[in-house]
Amino acid sequence: MRDRLPVLSYGLIAEIITQHPLWKRGIRWVSRGTEFITRNRVWQSIFRQGYPDTEENQSRVIFNSWFLHIHPVKVKKHSLNIKYTWGLGVITAFLFIVLVITGAWLMFFYVPSVEQAYTDIQSLATSVTFGTLMRTVHRWAAHLMVVTVFLHMCRVFYTGGYKTPREFNWMVGVMLWVLTLLLSFTGYLLPWDQLAYWAITVSTNIIGSFPVLGEWMRVILLGGHEVGPAALIRFYTMHIAILPGLMAILVGVHFWRIRKDGGLSSSLEANKIDYGGSTR
Amino acid sequence: MSDQTQDVFPKDPRKTYGLMELVKGTSPMVEKGPEDTVMSWPHLMILEVLAALGTTALLLFWSLAAKAPLREIADPDVTENPAKAAWYFLSLQELLLHMHASLAGVIIPVVVIIALMVIPYIDRSKRDIGIWFASKKGRKIALWSAGYTTVCLIGLILFDDFVRVRSLVNEPEILPGWIIPILVIGGLMVLLYVLIRRWQPTTREVLIGLFTGFVVTYFVLTVSSLFFRGMGMHLTWPWDLPPRALTF
Repeated sequence: MRDRLPVLSYGLIAEIITQHPLWKRGIRWVSRGTEFITRNRVWQSIFRQGYPDTEENQSRVIFNSWFLHIHPVKVKKHSLNIKYTWGLGVITAFLFIVLVITGAWLMFFYVPSVEQAYTDIQSLATSVTFGTLMRTVHRWAAHLMVVTVFLHMCRVFYTGGYKTPREFNWMVGVMLWVLTLLLSFTGYLLPWDQLAYWAITVSTNIIGSFPVLGEWMRVILLGGHEVGPAALIRFYTMHIAILPGLMAILVGVHFWRIRKDGGLSSSLEANKIDYGGSTR
Repeated sequence: MSDQTQDVFPKDPRKTYGLMELVKGTSPMVEKGPEDTVMSWPHLMILEVLAALGTTALLLFWSLAAKAPLREIADPDVTENPAKAAWYFLSLQELLLHMHASLAGVIIPVVVIIALMVIPYIDRSKRDIGIWFASKKGRKIALWSAGYTTVCLIGLILFDDFVRVRSLVNEPEILPGWIIPILVIGGLMVLLYVLIRRWQPTTREVLIGLFTGFVVTYFVLTVSSLFFRGMGMHLTWPWDLPPRALTF
């Protein structure tokens, strides 16, 4: 009895919507608009393939695009398994992009001088449209990136993703983790408030405590014996130029190596003949 | 060609086939035809866009819920109490309370980074690649190591705060600052290894035990330093923390 009642399934809802004349008219308008945009020399000089609904165009859309060509045209089904990767690498890379964009925007309104830095941050809240939002997103994205990069490292470790032939990419990954921490650390000083000042003082004192070389390293880092104007400009330069540059290069190497090493690690690679050592 | 490979790579009547070369070894794609792959567009693209959108939404909602902090302008004459590092370095600051600063803040982190980097050169077996925790045994070892590390660390923190190593041995400085911490850390790692050994682990499973120890140490020390350290970095309950003790 029960299964004879009409069931309001997604399929049925979709059918009701797509059979409606308004929907059909909408589709006609959209396709006319699309044709207007895409059927001309300018569009076709930029995007050399047609709409990616055939395998040929789906291949060309990847390797014709500078932005997409870091991807292979085809990927192993296994590497799309969310429960294998949890998307942590992609999320971390995306957070880096968010940080570059919000960070560049924040640079418009920030002067790294002891006289101006703090008031510049204050005026983000009072006289810049979306100033507080952008600064907040920048800060939380930075914290989140510290978390996701670490979780990504744990994921790769626990799935054995560092094994041959991915040894070097694991090393690059560890360096990227350290770089992420350094980027976050150098950015921490820039608001020039009490939180920033004392966090950096505490951290650099630790380095200074190292026998013989400690004080020398601390002076190099801070440009003086205390956290002051020189430290602010050094941290700023590290934060906006040197470290992000290094990061971009290493991220490039990291992605490139994923492909060179045969895509993401997979249990298909598990070799029944064991070459490695055992404690047994 | 076996029948199975015939299905995967059907013979093309327009081509001729011959044996070109024999190659030793296996590849990830051995006996796996193109059916194990999908087009990146749209399958991978959709997931990447979803990850980006999800992250953006999370960041926006989080930013609506909590503003980025800004305290008073930096003043070298007014010391923050407690003066804490950024949260991801607080595990090192916690170590700092229990040993010489350069051991906690320089030597241990450097050793950890080097140790992480050499992992692939120690564990070279390809037997269990791509398998979470290597095996059931590996999972058990990870859980066990997590429990062991948590209990040891909480015990050590409480011991050093209530009994104090320095009240037992203070002279010479090298003892409480260097020798005792190194012996305790090394001893606990060796003990962990000895305890794991009863499961007859592979190299990877031993590394899983040690890596889990590192992750849990990072976590426990961060939590204790962030949520359980108040004025003067003394132990306190999270609900008794001065509001300025939380550094994000």
